[in-house]
Amino acid sequence: MKTSEHDLVLAHLNLFAVLKNLEELVVRDPESARMTADWNETIQFTVMGGPQAFLSFSGGRCTVGRGAARKSTISLFFLSPRHLNRMFSEKANPIPVKGFLKLPFLAKKFPKLTERLEYFLKPTDALLKDPGYLALNTLFTLHTAAFAAAEMAAGEAFSRASTAGLGSGSVLLKVLPEGPAAHIEFDKGKITAKAGEAEKPAAFMYMKDLAVANAFLNQKMDAFAAIAKGEVAIWGQMPFLDALSRVLDRIPVYLAP
Amino acid sequence: MKTFTFEKSQALFDRAAKVIPCGIYGHMSPAPLIPPSDYPFYAASGTGSRFTDPDGNEFIDYMCAYGPMVLGYNHPKVDEAAKKQRKLGNCLTAPAPVMVELAEKLTDLVSGADWAFFAKNGGDTTTYAVMVARAATGRKKIVAIKGGYHGVAPWTQGFGHHGVIEEDAQNIVRIPWNDFAAFERVVSENPENVAAFMATPYHHPTFADNEMPAPGYWKKVEDLCRKKGIVLIVDDIRCGFRLDVHGSHAHFGFKPDLVCFCKAIGNGYPISALVGAEALKNDAARVFYTGSYWFSAVPMAAALACIEELERIDGPKIMLEFGDKLLKGMVEIAKGHGFTLKVSGAPSMPYLRLTDDPSLVLMQKWCGECTRRGAYFTSHHNWFVSTAHTDEDLQRTFDIVDDAFRAIKEGGK
Repeated sequence: MKTSEHDLVLAHLNLFAVLKNLEELVVRDPESARMTADWNETIQFTVMGGPQAFLSFSGGRCTVGRGAARKSTISLFFLSPRHLNRMFSEKANPIPVKGFLKLPFLAKKFPKLTERLEYFLKPTDALLKDPGYLALNTLFTLHTAAFAAAEMAAGEAFSRASTAGLGSGSVLLKVLPEGPAAHIEFDKGKITAKAGEAEKPAAFMYMKDLAVANAFLNQKMDAFAAIAKGEVAIWGQMPFLDALSRVLDRIPVYLAP
Repeated sequence: MKTFTFEKSQALFDRAAKVIPCGIYGHMSPAPLIPPSDYPFYAASGTGSRFTDPDGNEFIDYMCAYGPMVLGYNHPKVDEAAKKQRKLGNCLTAPAPVMVELAEKLTDLVSGADWAFFAKNGGDTTTYAVMVARAATGRKKIVAIKGGYHGVAPWTQGFGHHGVIEEDAQNIVRIPWNDFAAFERVVSENPENVAAFMATPYHHPTFADNEMPAPGYWKKVEDLCRKKGIVLIVDDIRCGFRLDVHGSHAHFGFKPDLVCFCKAIGNGYPISALVGAEALKNDAARVFYTGSYWFSAVPMAAALACIEELERIDGPKIMLEFGDKLLKGMVEIAKGHGFTLKVSGAPSMPYLRLTDDPSLVLMQKWCGECTRRGAYFTSHHNWFVSTAHTDEDLQRTFDIVDDAFRAIKEGGK
């Protein structure tokens, strides 16, 4: 069966925008930190006709990388991008091809961590009233948005067209007053996203506070109205922000809020 | 210098945001007015070169309603002509006689125009021009310029904008401005399939310096179009009647087949026009294209009065001269404060940029500071001047510009 653009883009988002949040989760969430403190595993994800990624746990840190890991302890194979996506929506299982002795880790330990990530990525109104939860959910939402934008600009026809023709420069997305922040670098067609501040951004998007950022990033408010009212301030080279906003608008096509 | 506040504008916007998408949509959206806190979102009234917002703040207007205001708000001759026609009738079951008068006026005045067709917005005429070109040639491809704006129809926006699908723009080929070799390449790669070349008289994108045609550019484009049977369309919607009353192609010395007008032809009354050469009149007649209000007589009467007045006073000359004085003065004031203000485009519709900051943030701050002192400037789009701008406006603008530069210097460069 031919892989659809939707399946392929979603597979990239699942690995490099959603799963990537584990890097911060094990640092910022005490429960996740405790859980993973002594993990020493590298999980390889190989998708036929799709992306390849690895997830490494070592010394209490987590790294999500592209391509093949230098040495994996567990290797999971997926028949297609859709197969991978179905695993992320808990409708399918991966095919383990290495690390059979680690199956208990995969079956019991690892899901507890992904459940924790899901808890922070899928807020309820009640949970968002907790300032700690709001801060973490906003951070993960911001990072997911930035990483997803880079993936989509590379792999989705609409987003590629939106960002085509932009020059070089970076866009800073920052929640005031103290962050979190992420930035997206455009370099003659190559687009990458990173957590944290940019050195000399060409364009800036400042969200007034965590509550505004949360509502804005989750598309719960009219973006234009938010800008006009000063809840979200934009400065600098607008073509970058204009193109980026069209890409960000498309995220719910793949990742339901 | 006193600075303005905008409580009533903002309160109106709060109401608007509940019942109107974006609060204010399209080109008048506050989003590119940076920072929005320095701008009025609504205009309550206007006279001459100035408008007043709901808070009672008065602005010397350098956007002129994004172009339509050319003789000044509430111009007596234009408004009187509109008033007379309104008494006779506006939207009737058949066109009013004034439609014929207006077509005769445009074909007399605009160089190379043998017929005129009327609609409401600029985008109506660019789409119609494309349809006429395709009808005349039986071809599909339209060559346009990267960054060129021809309206909001899906084919003009292109894939990558919301609501536009790939197929909408698959026959639009965008090439860089002033790149004749690129045009030649597209023509040779699409033998017998290029219907039209469409461009503005000079390149006036947003967020970027405007560019005049390179010497010989238009002549080469015209020659290739003639040789290959390609319809040459000029989108004169923004420049029209701000460079030359005979059309901007007369200003630059070439002969298009179709010319799109809007903005300045009605001094704010809703009307646009496509004018064309005799050779395309039958093709234009075959394309079915119309709208409920396209025959409204009041805007036609207003347009006739507006065009007659622009011709009588040589409006473009007045605007070019005023723009020249304005820009020279502002560049000097900027220099005095240690800033470099770069001007591009025609003085009657200039694009300005402070080169001291490539991110445009400094320019945005300065435009905001000027606006909250009473000179309405934008940082993303070319400005417009009108024949109603006076020497008093000029002096007041210079004072504001000076004070605004001082303010941004104090705020840190």
